[in-house]
Amino acid sequence: MSGAARTSGGAAGGTVGPRGGRTRWALLGAVALLVALVGLASALDRAAPRAERSAPAIADLPAPVLDAPIPCRRSDPDEVVTALADRLRPGRITAAIVVACPRLFDGREVVHVGEVVGDVLRRDGGAWVTLNDDPYALELGPFGAHRERAGFNTGLSVWLPDGLHEDLGPAGRHGRRGAVLRVEGVLRRADPADGGGLTVRAVSAEVLAPSTPVTAPVDRTLATAAGVAALTAAAAGLHARRRRRG
Amino acid sequence: MSAVLRPSVEDLRLIGFYLGRVLTGLGLLMLVPLPLAAVLREWNALSALLLGAGIALTLGALADAHLRSRRQLGWSHGMVVVALAWIVGSAVAAVPMHVSGRFADPLAALFEAASALTTTGMSVINDLDHLEASMNLYRHLLQIAGGLGILIVVLALFSAGGSRVSTLYVSEARDERILPNVLRTSRFIARVTVAFGVAGTTALAVALLAAGFGPWRAVEHAVSLFFSSFSTGGFSVMQSSMIAYHAPAVEVVVLLIMFAGMLSFGLHHAVWRGDVAEVRRHVETRTLALVGTSLLVLLTVGLVRSGTYGDVTAILRRGLFTLVSATSSTGHQVNAGDTYLSDWGVLAPAALVGAMAIGGMASSTAGGIKALRVALAVKAVVHDIRRFLLPESAVVVTTYHVGRRRILRPDVSRAATTVLLLYVVSFLLGTMVALTYGGLDVTQALFEAVSVGANIGISIGVVQPGMPSWLQLVYVVQMLLGRLEFVAVLVLVGYLLSFVRTPRRRRRPS
Repeated sequence: MSGAARTSGGAAGGTVGPRGGRTRWALLGAVALLVALVGLASALDRAAPRAERSAPAIADLPAPVLDAPIPCRRSDPDEVVTALADRLRPGRITAAIVVACPRLFDGREVVHVGEVVGDVLRRDGGAWVTLNDDPYALELGPFGAHRERAGFNTGLSVWLPDGLHEDLGPAGRHGRRGAVLRVEGVLRRADPADGGGLTVRAVSAEVLAPSTPVTAPVDRTLATAAGVAALTAAAAGLHARRRRRG
Repeated sequence: MSAVLRPSVEDLRLIGFYLGRVLTGLGLLMLVPLPLAAVLREWNALSALLLGAGIALTLGALADAHLRSRRQLGWSHGMVVVALAWIVGSAVAAVPMHVSGRFADPLAALFEAASALTTTGMSVINDLDHLEASMNLYRHLLQIAGGLGILIVVLALFSAGGSRVSTLYVSEARDERILPNVLRTSRFIARVTVAFGVAGTTALAVALLAAGFGPWRAVEHAVSLFFSSFSTGGFSVMQSSMIAYHAPAVEVVVLLIMFAGMLSFGLHHAVWRGDVAEVRRHVETRTLALVGTSLLVLLTVGLVRSGTYGDVTAILRRGLFTLVSATSSTGHQVNAGDTYLSDWGVLAPAALVGAMAIGGMASSTAGGIKALRVALAVKAVVHDIRRFLLPESAVVVTTYHVGRRRILRPDVSRAATTVLLLYVVSFLLGTMVALTYGGLDVTQALFEAVSVGANIGISIGVVQPGMPSWLQLVYVVQMLLGRLEFVAVLVLVGYLLSFVRTPRRRRRPS
């Protein structure tokens, strides 16, 4: 460390001379610039237009099978997992509850409610979909029109046999909330048909809410700031070019 | 530290000038997704990216206009520029992310940007599945820029070339020169990347079309997947990462691209010029083959013993992919993060931690300690044991093969073991800090600390939106230290300390 620093000083020259007083100001200026940058970005984030939600919440949602995920480990004896099973109540599973203890649900008939996101991957005999059960899927709608931060997306892979996936419409992505499905099926902790993936193999599916477009309002303050930044960059570029030539 | 001199304003000027060039490169990078944003009418993403680009290009232009200097870039300047490039670069790259509103605070946006530029691939983004395509492309572009060395790309293309750039190249944690000239090396790296890019993206697009994707989505995912796999970054287009595809063909292509990404560009060069024997002789190939095989056996035994999967196909598809993802430091996941804890037993996650810690090859985009350092450290230990066992008069020579046969010198083995030790310290400190965040056990804390510190990105569930800010900050520091392999950051710290601790040297009267 000291060797490197010593080299640093040597290579740097270390002499300061009459302009040495500017060093501190240069550093302070750089720090102030960074602080201003953070302040500007935060102010623009706060100024963005926002609604309460971007799509209606899903009504009559079944309650989750557990109040909160209960973690288990692979090494836990079967009796522990069986005891956990006694605490399950009728209702829907969630991705968070399942991944905390996949053994608890392996081979069980489950109910899962979620938004179709990404793509509907149609294959022979059916289609793979990802059903998200996070607040963006079921309560708030996609982020954008609303700016409520509710965490990661969480969801499960679901195999929909032919007859269940034909009327889903476009899947959820930017500018669209996908169809919200209620599926009943069997959960496979390590599904051989998916190379060991965690899946739900649906036997029935009901569309609770159709696929709908959602629009976020254009943030005019941000657009104005972007325009000003672009003009400033152009002016700074011209200034630099003149200095180089001069 | 007593001999450390305080850097002068001229030093800062030089550093600022080169930092400005890096920011210019970053600004231009932010412009790349703009046409996509315009076509898809993603106006808020377009504004966010334009704002970020405007700020970066303004700073770059002002640095170019007012900080130009005739002084030569020294070794120490280069180190400081490298360290600052990732720190300041992350801060500026975070601007479009922060104004998008998807991050809890500026620190979370900084975390995401640093994770991208350091090719860690951990994310704290809210509602990724509804993110604008242009903003998603931006995240992936940052990874490829960081993976290939933002400095080498920007400076090699912009600079007049020569010794100044060469100094930076040495600083950027790339241990092995591929070609004598940095510009030629950069062009070679660009050529390799473009070749793999064309082949990899095409193969991925075909595999995605076969998997059921539409043409537009297949191309969108293929491009992003290539960026995140070849850069060994590991960001995903969807929150569910590779799970979303349900396609063995996609997994195989991604696995091959990750593998290519973790190979050193020196080895790529040897293969390009037809010297395939170099692959067999190279010390890193041998190390990775040995370590990788051992870890695969360990992981397989762990998965079989815990009864996680019922058949060999599942073990290979989930186990092998995850192991290559960990070793290459990519971090693509074919399992939900929490299941490593709940469903993989003890031995298999331990094998993953080992793979993540070791990482890929030096002079590649991979992170981790690097196979080269592990090999040299082991050889140094064996060397010392042989010295003890042989007569005192015996001359013990240990060699290793990197491009050619080299003698293991004490300074080389010391440098390798020092950095190795610093990585271990980083992992342990990260673990201890995470343990103070209540509710985590040592397995979770260690797994996440190694994943962050080695720039891997596989998460066991600790990193998520809403995690404590101080833990986020510690992880950002760990990511930067891991990417820059400590030295550049330590030189920067020395530079900063010198402002506090050392007096200015007065100019002597002539």
